[in-house]
Amino acid sequence: MSNLTGKWLQQSLRLLHHELRKGELTIVFLAIVLAVATVFSLTGFSEQVKQALTTNSVNTLAADRVLRTSSLMSPDIKAESERLGFGFAKKVLLNSMVFSGDKMLLSDVDAVTDDYPLRGELLVSTSKGSQDIKSVKSPKEGTVWVEQSLLGRMGIAVGDTVEIGVAPFVIAGVTSNIPDKAFGSVFSNPSIIMNINDLEKTELVQPGSRIFYKYLFSGENDDLKDFDEWIKPKLNESQRWIDIKSSQNRLGKTLDTAEKFLSLASMLGIVLAAIAVAVASRRYGQRHQPTVAVFKALGASNKHIQKVYVLHWSLLSLMSICIGLLVGYGLLHLGIMGIESYLALDSTSLTLRPILIAVVTGLICAVAFAIHPISKLIETSPIAVIKGFESGNSKKLSFYHAIPLIALFLLLYIFSTDILMSLSLLLGGVLVSLILLVVGRFIMGLGRTAGTKAGKALHLAFANLKRRATENSVQLVSFTIAIKLLLLITVMKSSILSEWQQQMPENTPNHYLVNITDDQVGAISNFAEKNDVPTEGFFQVYRGRLSAIEGVPTIKVQDKPNASQTDEAGDEKPKGRRGMGRELSLTWRDTPSPLTEVVEGEWWKPNDTTPQVSVEKEVAERLEIKIGDELTFTIGSDVFTVPVTSIRDVNWQSRQLNFIMVFNKATLENLPTTSISAWKVVPEKKDSVYAFLSQYPSVSIIDVDAIMKQVTTMVDQMTIAIELILVLVVLAGSLVLVAQVQASMEERERELAILRTLGAKGTLLRNSVLFEFLALGAVAGLMASIAMEIAVFVLQTQVFDMTFSLHLEFWLVGILSGAGFVGVIGMLSCWRLLNLSSVTLIRRTM
Amino acid sequence: MKVNSESILKVNGLTKSVQLEGKTLSILQPVNLQVNAGETLAIIGSSGSGKTTLLSILAGLDLPTSGEVYIKNHPLHQFNEEQRSQVRAEHVGFIFQQFLLINSLTALENVMLPAELANIENPKEKGIELLKLVGLENRLEHFPSQLSGGEQQRVAIARAFISQPDILFADEPTGNLDTKTGKYIADLLFDLNDRLGTTLVLVTHDPKLADRCARKVEMDSGVLTEASITSDSVVNANIANDQNAQEEPNNTTANNEKEEGAVCPT
Repeated sequence: MSNLTGKWLQQSLRLLHHELRKGELTIVFLAIVLAVATVFSLTGFSEQVKQALTTNSVNTLAADRVLRTSSLMSPDIKAESERLGFGFAKKVLLNSMVFSGDKMLLSDVDAVTDDYPLRGELLVSTSKGSQDIKSVKSPKEGTVWVEQSLLGRMGIAVGDTVEIGVAPFVIAGVTSNIPDKAFGSVFSNPSIIMNINDLEKTELVQPGSRIFYKYLFSGENDDLKDFDEWIKPKLNESQRWIDIKSSQNRLGKTLDTAEKFLSLASMLGIVLAAIAVAVASRRYGQRHQPTVAVFKALGASNKHIQKVYVLHWSLLSLMSICIGLLVGYGLLHLGIMGIESYLALDSTSLTLRPILIAVVTGLICAVAFAIHPISKLIETSPIAVIKGFESGNSKKLSFYHAIPLIALFLLLYIFSTDILMSLSLLLGGVLVSLILLVVGRFIMGLGRTAGTKAGKALHLAFANLKRRATENSVQLVSFTIAIKLLLLITVMKSSILSEWQQQMPENTPNHYLVNITDDQVGAISNFAEKNDVPTEGFFQVYRGRLSAIEGVPTIKVQDKPNASQTDEAGDEKPKGRRGMGRELSLTWRDTPSPLTEVVEGEWWKPNDTTPQVSVEKEVAERLEIKIGDELTFTIGSDVFTVPVTSIRDVNWQSRQLNFIMVFNKATLENLPTTSISAWKVVPEKKDSVYAFLSQYPSVSIIDVDAIMKQVTTMVDQMTIAIELILVLVVLAGSLVLVAQVQASMEERERELAILRTLGAKGTLLRNSVLFEFLALGAVAGLMASIAMEIAVFVLQTQVFDMTFSLHLEFWLVGILSGAGFVGVIGMLSCWRLLNLSSVTLIRRTM
Repeated sequence: MKVNSESILKVNGLTKSVQLEGKTLSILQPVNLQVNAGETLAIIGSSGSGKTTLLSILAGLDLPTSGEVYIKNHPLHQFNEEQRSQVRAEHVGFIFQQFLLINSLTALENVMLPAELANIENPKEKGIELLKLVGLENRLEHFPSQLSGGEQQRVAIARAFISQPDILFADEPTGNLDTKTGKYIADLLFDLNDRLGTTLVLVTHDPKLADRCARKVEMDSGVLTEASITSDSVVNANIANDQNAQEEPNNTTANNEKEEGAVCPT
């Protein structure tokens, strides 16, 4: 038997070739492709993002250390940095309207010193072509560098002049990389970089202006560490000391959350793909039993069969994994294109890790979920050629049954790299599935009762659903979850945001005017009055911070609040109380604003000159502030202490001007201030309002509608990635459905043959099959709608602070799309069967 | 057809019983049987009489509870699955009621399979030749699903003969076919068997088909009895008492002489 080696190889290849051509391995093939593609694209994507962040990590600061503050830095910090021989640069950040002819745009103005940036590259091209990109320091006086989006939005070009504040500037170049422009700052405006020496000319810096300063330092590692030690105790609440790690953490956190969500969603896809592999390989095993039995009856040894099938399955898996990697690469490319505008990624610089993880996932799917049916197949006894073949599952539990669960856990672990999370996901998944199963079966049970009265086809359909309940349950769970997520995203995109806006009262302001100086208030207020622009009046705003509560200094929110304060036995001095961790906008009012309610204490009389403050309820709760507590505030160099006389409940969603800390007039008198106002500008008046306000360049206009538009755009962009994953989930769910329909094909053939023999008409059979899948999809759609509504309820009431509203139209969408989708997929899978003539059907099965 | 005294199949005191709900159910009472080279034997009996069980043990697909089975002197009852497979590959051919062609393989590939498993030279050429003999030379590349029942059984017959087995087991070969096709398939089977000189053991409950065999034994509730002995068969088998039957020293193979007159399917 020396020549037999080549024979099994030949036979295996022959089987593979024919079966592939006849499409008998399509489901297994697609399931593995899907799992590999999902894992590869996702892991590759997150890898790319992380890589981009690491290589740009220094650039994200433009320095080694940054002090971000809303007030000028004390000179001793500069002196210390000079002593250590550090590089130093300064950046002043503010918002301003930029004008060019009759066009205007709110922009981020960055005024920088000559040494900016200390690290990373500020890349600027001075003409239209991108060939002459140069790494530069600050622009020359009288010129600015702008982002391309500003040119596009204002319809101007390099060489044109823009007005910032009261000074004209020539656009000398377009920035293609600003090293410390934060990733993910979707809300940020186009940036303009100017020389710091030009700032005064603009007259944008006024007392009380909303300005931030960034002081940049660069130096040797050891010196930097010493500097860290030295500076940290000197920082106050309005100052943030940023090193590379903390800046990365902030960036990383957002991405981590996004990545976790995508991982979870794609896990669902992978689990479903694995289930599809399991179902399809079970059918594969059953379908190949006669082949193996005949092979054996004709004298093939076990070893021979083993070789034939191990090679057969391995080749199939290998092919699927390779195609999966290709498809995954395509998806990865799509994903990268989606966020290109936020982060420069390079899909060609892939590491081996995503490929490795994807291949391992493919192998786990191909081996763990198929090992049982295939080993059972190899064990097929040749006596089956006489006695017939096993079709059912053995109920005996064996090690083989544990393998898929272990594999699922492994898959989860590969993704989350967190044992506890993987375990809870596995158990949570089982629990959710069980709940869905019970609900699903209950609904199907109701359907069956109804179907009995509804007609033969429906009756048959529900009888079938009930009989195949176990198989259907997997589909039910998978489609429910997929439809629910899709519905939720659709509702979020199309409904919640617009409902949020609709729930606003009629005159809800859509523009905020910030930085109005006292001498401008009169003219601006007159203009609003004359032109019937609804305003909420003008409020004086003071930038300050809460520095102590009851004499105890506040500490940053991220630090642990003082626990030893109540510790009577403790000798340690209290470290501090939980504070706001940031500067606050403070104001005074004679009466509480309309949509607030004093829930504790009493509001002051308008002419009461005793200093006092009213605190917003949630902040009071968080900071444990009670009526009568003494709060100390620092505004610039002024420090004063006031008692809390009332606590207010504020509706933050009303878009009215609201403040956490409101004082009586006497408390804040004589402190430097600017005013703020909120206007409702209807579209027709927008041009005239903007034209009028252009006289006051230091006044910043915040257009809420534009921001809402940006939010919507952002949600749209974010959901592309989620939708992409969900499409994969739906595909995987469909694969499970098709695999299961195929697995039940022989049984269905037999049933149809019997029904045909008993005289059932073609339409009855077709309808019963159609109704079966429609009902399955509809039940999944119904459960998905319920689940979606629960999620929306939580979002609306907890996140958006809205009144809960039902979305019955989406229930309809859920049920109809579920029924339609499952109905079509199911009918397509059964199409061949339903079109067989009665004679063929009977001959094939009897 | 020539029958010689070489024993191809020999069975001594074979029994088969199974455990069913704690009780022992005897399917085959002690069976003794000898079939010589070139012989055609029909095992007849009603459904459930045990004839298929007997066939599966004779062919080495199953093991007896007790007793001995020899195919060409190979003690199948002592062999494990792998050894029995080897014997089947080298000495045994099959024809089944349900045809049992491999759906993923073409007609030719199905026919080639036993030859490949037995490592016979030129399986393709032999396969084509046999398919020509059964009148399917135009259907070489067709898959079973593209063939009618009768055509499938013709492929199965070609497959059964390709490895030139010493003994051919046929289980209700016409059971799934209509009368006309059944008769045609029976003609083909007996004709090829005759020409290739294969020993044939046929299980059927069709008396007409059984009548075409030189010898008939009947199975009734697990008991095998001689049904009739035709004139041209050499009977070495003594159903009841043949413990002392000696094997023929002559080890010549079955007569491979081909008679004139090819099989011409209609």
